[in-house]
Amino acid sequence: MHSWTQRLLTAATTAAVLLAAVCAAASALDAFHVPAVQAQAHVTKINRFHKQINGNDKVTLTFNVSANLESLFTWNTKQVFVFLTAEYENAKNSLNQISLWDHIIPDKEHANLQLEVKSRYPLIDQGSSLRGKKVHLVLHWYVMPNAGAMTQGRMALSEFKLPDAYTS
Amino acid sequence: MDWQGQKLAEMLMQVLLVASAVAAFLAGYVRGDFQLMLLVYAGGVVLTALVTVPNWPFFNRNPLKWLDAAEAERHPRPQVSSAGAGAGGKKKSGKNK
Repeated sequence: MHSWTQRLLTAATTAAVLLAAVCAAASALDAFHVPAVQAQAHVTKINRFHKQINGNDKVTLTFNVSANLESLFTWNTKQVFVFLTAEYENAKNSLNQISLWDHIIPDKEHANLQLEVKSRYPLIDQGSSLRGKKVHLVLHWYVMPNAGAMTQGRMALSEFKLPDAYTS
Repeated sequence: MDWQGQKLAEMLMQVLLVASAVAAFLAGYVRGDFQLMLLVYAGGVVLTALVTVPNWPFFNRNPLKWLDAAEAERHPRPQVSSAGAGAGGKKKSGKNK
């Protein structure tokens, strides 16, 4: 501690260690936060259902999403990534997950969503197993904190049945 | 900076940094603002650096009292002079190598 450079280095090191401690404390508090997500999603229209030239089934959907994700936000939340998947089982895979819609929520003020989505991403099967298939709509979210580990959650919202025949 | 000043500087540094970390965490938690926490802490770190890094006069209130050179000459230590001669011989041989 006899020279000013030594004191500066000591101060910087101590400050960095304490900053890590403060961030760890902020992250630890998030562990006690229990979010209560409320969400609904319903398919309103099947726009087009056909088989592509390469043999894969393809569906474009219109659906309503209403989700209140405000409870995911704490003071240590940077942003929330939310996406809706169609999930179904077929002979090839025990679980198929296809992302139909996604969104980045930057803050709590934009966390209450009410929207109609018109075929943002198509539902394309690996093969041709979608006719008459029962498909679940599942909402997933990833909470990205300022400090600490990313957490995730999911909620099954509704299910719908695809038609037994192609529409075109 | 004298010995007491160094002790004081180290204590001040640790107390101020811990205090600003605690204050920053509480401010951030109460206001629900992570950025506020970082700003308060950054302010505390800058304040700590300003207080403890420069060699302020209040770190030099207990200067070391050295003996006068004349005082040392009046009381020579015998073993020091003999060891000094031996060391001198070694130094010479070292230089010749």
